[in-house]
Amino acid sequence: MAGIIPPVSDASKQQSGKPAEKVDYLNLPCPIPYEEIHREALMSLKPELFEGLRFDFTKGLNQKFSLSHSVFMGSTEVPSQSSETIKVPSANYEFGANFIDPNLMLIGRVLTDGRLHARVKWDLSENLTLKANAQLTNEPHMSHGMVNFDFKGKDYRSQLQVGNGALVGANYIQNVTQHLSLGGEVFWAGQHRKSGIGYAARYETDKMVATGQVASTGMIALSYVQKVSEKVSLATDYMFNWLSRDVTASVGYDYILRQSRLRGRIDSNGCTAAFLEERLNMGLNFILSAEIDHKKKDYKFGFGLTVG
Amino acid sequence: MASRVSLKSKGKSGKGSKGAEDKSTVQHLKEWSTWTMKKAKVITHFGFIPLIIIIGMNSEPKPQLYQLLSPV
Repeated sequence: MAGIIPPVSDASKQQSGKPAEKVDYLNLPCPIPYEEIHREALMSLKPELFEGLRFDFTKGLNQKFSLSHSVFMGSTEVPSQSSETIKVPSANYEFGANFIDPNLMLIGRVLTDGRLHARVKWDLSENLTLKANAQLTNEPHMSHGMVNFDFKGKDYRSQLQVGNGALVGANYIQNVTQHLSLGGEVFWAGQHRKSGIGYAARYETDKMVATGQVASTGMIALSYVQKVSEKVSLATDYMFNWLSRDVTASVGYDYILRQSRLRGRIDSNGCTAAFLEERLNMGLNFILSAEIDHKKKDYKFGFGLTVG
Repeated sequence: MASRVSLKSKGKSGKGSKGAEDKSTVQHLKEWSTWTMKKAKVITHFGFIPLIIIIGMNSEPKPQLYQLLSPV
């Protein structure tokens, strides 16, 4: 099992009072959420690739409240220790409800097999935010939950995380100069008897963002994103684990055009991927996803439609 | 609160009939917190989405009930 990846510190606001970037959950099917320090690189290099058919329909009932229906038919990968990928064909329907208010955000998704993904973000006061994230299943011992308390200061942010399995974490990030912010984190996982400490730095200008992160779990992650123009961004990412000697480097591009968004990347593992979202009409989006892994001989193609 | 008291008394009478060992406060606390977490998990699992729907249906402007079910 891979080591637990510690939560990432997030960007903070300037001393001049420029509005801060909020910590954001990326809703990955993963017990520990990633925070936003690698946000630009993640957005450009890691789109939600899928294999099969995907259909999403979001219906808004009023400004704040909407329901979503989502159908997926295709293969999902089962993690395996050997180099072979095991794919299991699956089809599911997911019902979701969203309530989005300036102070309170509630997002819930439930699948046909009874799994629930819940996210809550509650602004208790101007500086204090409570977030909760849970994945609940009917199987015993497979549910995860985490609660975060975020405190936003003038040019710093701090966060305390408490999760199930006696997981406790805290992180802090501070803006040191106009462009540079530094942060650190500690976490302790009771169930796995692991603890870790990590440091992160982020240097940002109008044209580029460079981030670096080091953790005692042996992970070093560096990323660099250059905004070449309004429509084009190039990104590169480097991840190295000195305990497991695992290295991955990837380079990608992100074209944000008026009617479409195209993201492509190539990896040092011999994997190339592309993701296209095309706006056919107001509220109607067509999605194409492709991932070709030459090393494992794994080819994944998917298409979908998003309405609303 | 009342349910917690009844659980405590049931636990104690059960122990009295067994005799011998006496559970410490810490163990009681652990049992109660586990029980609470289990109940909270079940409540969240079944009640979270209905909670969102109730909060949403009561927000302004109030949507109609048929809008919840129809695809338009």
